[in-house]
Amino acid sequence: MSFIPGHPVTAVVQRIEIHKLRDGDNLILGFSIGGGIDQDPSQNPFSEDKTDKGIYVTRVSKGGPAEVAGLRMGDKIMQVNGWDMTMVTHDQARKKLTKKNEDVVRLLVTRKSLENAVRQSMMQH
Amino acid sequence: MEEYDVPSAASILASVKEQEARFERLTRALEEERRNVSLQLERGSLPSDRLVGGTTGGSNQPLAWQQMVMQEQSPSNQTSLAMMQEPQEVVEETVTIEEDPGTPTSHVSVVTSDDGTTRRTETKDNVTNMKVTKMVKTVTTRTVRQVPLGPDGLPLPEGSSPLGSYTDSIDRRYMKNGERFITPQATSTLTRSYNNYSDSYNDAPDSQFRHYTLHDGYGDMADNYGSLSRGVNYRPYRPYMPTGGYRPENSYTLPIRKDDYGHVAQPQVPMGSSTMDLNRSQPERFQPEPYGLEDDRRSLGPDDEEPYDLEPDYSTANRRTLPGRTIREPLRNGPRMRGYEDPIETELIDERHPYIHGMYPAPLAQPERGSLASLDRMGGRRSPSIDSIRKDPRWRDPDLPEVIAMLGHPIDPVKSNAAAYLQHLCYENDKIKKDVRQLKGIPVLVGLLDHPKAEVHRKACGALRNISYGKDHDNKVAIKSCDGIPALIRLLRKTNDMEVRELITGTLWNLSSYEPLKMVIINHGLQTMTNEVIIPHSGWEHEPNEDSKPRDAEWTTVFKNTSGCLRNVSSDGAEARRRLRECEGLVDALLHALQSAVGKKDMDNKSVENCVCVMRNLSYHVHKEIPGAEKFQDPSALQGPGSAGTQRKKKDDAGCFGGKKAKEEWFNQGRKNGEHDKNYDTLDLPKRTEPTKGFELLYQPEVVRLYLSLLTESQNFNTLEAAAGALQNLSAGQWTWSNYIRATVRKEKGLPILVELLRSDSDKVVRAVAIALRNLSIDRRNKDLIGSYAMRDLVSNLPSGQQRPAKNLEEDTVVAILNTIHEIIIESSENARSLITAQAIDKLVAINRTSQSARETKAASHVLQTVWSYKELRNALTKDGWNKTHFQPIPTGTPKGSRSCKPGYDDTTLPLMEKNQGNRGCSGGDMIPMGELGPDGYSTIDQRDKESKYKSSDGSSDLQEREPLKNDTNRKHYIRSNRPTVSLVDACDVKPQPVDSWV
Repeated sequence: MSFIPGHPVTAVVQRIEIHKLRDGDNLILGFSIGGGIDQDPSQNPFSEDKTDKGIYVTRVSKGGPAEVAGLRMGDKIMQVNGWDMTMVTHDQARKKLTKKNEDVVRLLVTRKSLENAVRQSMMQH
Repeated sequence: MEEYDVPSAASILASVKEQEARFERLTRALEEERRNVSLQLERGSLPSDRLVGGTTGGSNQPLAWQQMVMQEQSPSNQTSLAMMQEPQEVVEETVTIEEDPGTPTSHVSVVTSDDGTTRRTETKDNVTNMKVTKMVKTVTTRTVRQVPLGPDGLPLPEGSSPLGSYTDSIDRRYMKNGERFITPQATSTLTRSYNNYSDSYNDAPDSQFRHYTLHDGYGDMADNYGSLSRGVNYRPYRPYMPTGGYRPENSYTLPIRKDDYGHVAQPQVPMGSSTMDLNRSQPERFQPEPYGLEDDRRSLGPDDEEPYDLEPDYSTANRRTLPGRTIREPLRNGPRMRGYEDPIETELIDERHPYIHGMYPAPLAQPERGSLASLDRMGGRRSPSIDSIRKDPRWRDPDLPEVIAMLGHPIDPVKSNAAAYLQHLCYENDKIKKDVRQLKGIPVLVGLLDHPKAEVHRKACGALRNISYGKDHDNKVAIKSCDGIPALIRLLRKTNDMEVRELITGTLWNLSSYEPLKMVIINHGLQTMTNEVIIPHSGWEHEPNEDSKPRDAEWTTVFKNTSGCLRNVSSDGAEARRRLRECEGLVDALLHALQSAVGKKDMDNKSVENCVCVMRNLSYHVHKEIPGAEKFQDPSALQGPGSAGTQRKKKDDAGCFGGKKAKEEWFNQGRKNGEHDKNYDTLDLPKRTEPTKGFELLYQPEVVRLYLSLLTESQNFNTLEAAAGALQNLSAGQWTWSNYIRATVRKEKGLPILVELLRSDSDKVVRAVAIALRNLSIDRRNKDLIGSYAMRDLVSNLPSGQQRPAKNLEEDTVVAILNTIHEIIIESSENARSLITAQAIDKLVAINRTSQSARETKAASHVLQTVWSYKELRNALTKDGWNKTHFQPIPTGTPKGSRSCKPGYDDTTLPLMEKNQGNRGCSGGDMIPMGELGPDGYSTIDQRDKESKYKSSDGSSDLQEREPLKNDTNRKHYIRSNRPTVSLVDACDVKPQPVDSWV
């Protein structure tokens, strides 16, 4: 899925709600992100379109809050708590996810398997 | 009066006339053929009777002579002018003429001549007697005057053969207008003019006669004469008159006239033509239209460059007209040179004032000096060859009072010529404009606007257009105070002549630049201008015909002028805006025109600029001024900045994600600051039962695309500024529509376009865009995007310390940018971090400490305080070597940004904003979203109009701007896809980002 800033995007999305794990002063989500508009999109192993500068989930720690919530490696994060993640820098995305005053993060993510599932279901009908 | 003189006078006259008679016979022989044709035509009309009567009426002794002369002359005259009868009269009257100066008798005689011969005789006897004596004495006062007046073509008569040409012209006119004139005599005005006319007519010969003598004999002396008082000079010359002067005139006069006419005396041309109108001269040389237009355009053209009004016209008009005109051009110089500037002349003019008002009689009295003076000058300036021809300066240009007097002449061509000449004189000459005003010429010109003949009202309009142009508002006021504006509008309604319409609208445009006249123009002309010009030329149709394609706008001069006029009047405050908004069809037509411009990719012209400016002005304060605006007020507006973000959401439904609304709701639940979310459910786009029309179109989200197209495509700085200003106005305020507008700008990918324009080299464009971005950032999501993508460009526009960047933006612009930055970083530590990343702190601190502008210092200080208020950023700041003191206001420190923001809001922010607005009457605070930012746009417009009136456009900046835009094709791509990347990549360089980060 290619994304050009400013252009409308259609995507099949899934909502994921992650409850942060408190570890001392740190709040842990349990996954890592890559990408961002300030990153080299061609290095992104998960994107179909190598110009896509979106934020992608690169790793998910086992048993962590993210995995529990259903997040998967390769998911593209569209929104975080309503904030757009399709046109942000890597650092901006990181900060949105790690706000210390928020215990819950709601993500809107898309992934290829979701699209395929939808396509199949539509064909069946 | 002095009876003893009579015999001598009579004898002199007799001898003169004899000579004349001979002379004319000769000429007659040559030109008989011509005359036959013309004579027959003309003779059919009345004048012959009258003339005969007049001749007979003349003095008893002279009668014989005169009659003889008449017969003979008539043929001769015909050669030259085709008028035979009049020449006779002239001759006799010449004698009489002298009397005129002395007394009204001549008048009486004239009148009688029309009615019957009898009366005249009586008077004339006296007259003849009088003549001699008076010649010497009286001359000073009247003789001269009458000459010019009588003919109406004043000056010419003198120069030309007094009898023949002069008379002829008169006759003809009479003939043409004959019916009118003769009958009218009963009426006051007509009669009057007629009488005067005839008087002068009769007199003319004499006066001319005298003049000639004087000039002939003293050709060299002429200069002296001009400067000296007439009376004195006159006497000495007199002796020559009888013999030498007179004859020569006849001989040369005719030939000379033609020559002069053609070559040199352009000014005269109009005049001459009026007098002469006769057969040939008029058609060829005087074609009124070209003359008038040329003058106009020429005159206007130069003017235009300075003031905004006519600029465009100038260039085009010039091109069109000039090529064909080459021949005539030289002529024009003539007139200008005559200057009314000479102190002497001015004085004279002033003196004459009173007379002029009197109408005809007045003019008669005055001409002498002026004419002489002008003659002198002309003589001096002419080329040698010409000089030789006219050693005797019989030709002279009419002076101003004469020209103005001729505006009231009963003969239409005289009027139109006089008006055309006035137009010419006024061209780029403020002094003459002022003189025309003081001589009360303007009401006369305005009166001519209602003249049925196109030629006349066209020329009058041309003159008014030139007069209305310039800094001297008194001229504009003078036009207004004699009801010139309704007269112009009337004529606009009446005429279909495109040229006249151009002149009318050009005049209105000029008038509209003066504040106090704006409402007058609106009151009288708004609907007419809309119906007659704007709607038809815009291509908009009230009820579009489904079969036909929508029409495109036509960028005619009329449309340009009218839209320029509306542009000016639209800046006259709330009432003016209301009237324009409610003017039926106006907004619809303007929008249609702009859409057509975008469709044709033709938007760099002045008409588009005018239309956008009107739209921007009308968009100002829509949320307050639109009827029923209360209904749309956003209840959450009271909540302050934070609420804006949520409101926009409802509008966002069509945004990036389908069905976002629901999702957002869901997401918002997770947001701690999601308190406001409930509101947005209740806000919905008002349902439209019928297509939007009228002023509602101003703020429909659909206009966003139009403005964005203009911003993308136009290369005209004024258009860019106005389009950005329109978005600024529309996105200001807290009402439903501004929420939609803000969201629509984002949806239509407008933010990158605006950000791109931050790089413009035009100060005003940068300013308008910056303020627009500030208003747009009331929308929370816009704020995030702008913070991410615009920060670098905003910062790069800031000066670093006392060193201004290459652009060297004005204080207003710098303050606007600072305020925008402040707005963006409020409640967004992310954006504040972007600001730091963009290395703005250096600049801000430098501005805060060293700027010489108090406003810049304050604004920068505000930003710094806000930055420091984010505790999470302090670490980074400290690492970069900053400390608390850098973020404190220099004079009095309240270091804590967020806290101090509140007080700052009251006493600092608001003032800042106002200053930022340039004291243009902005209403609200800047930094607070609730505040009205609109005023900026509006006032900007207004001010720009004022400024541009007399400022020439900045050519250099234009050039610069165009270059970047040359890559038009690449531009869009660049903006939409590459642009953000580029700036972000830059950021990347500064601070390498992790490829992968755990969260």
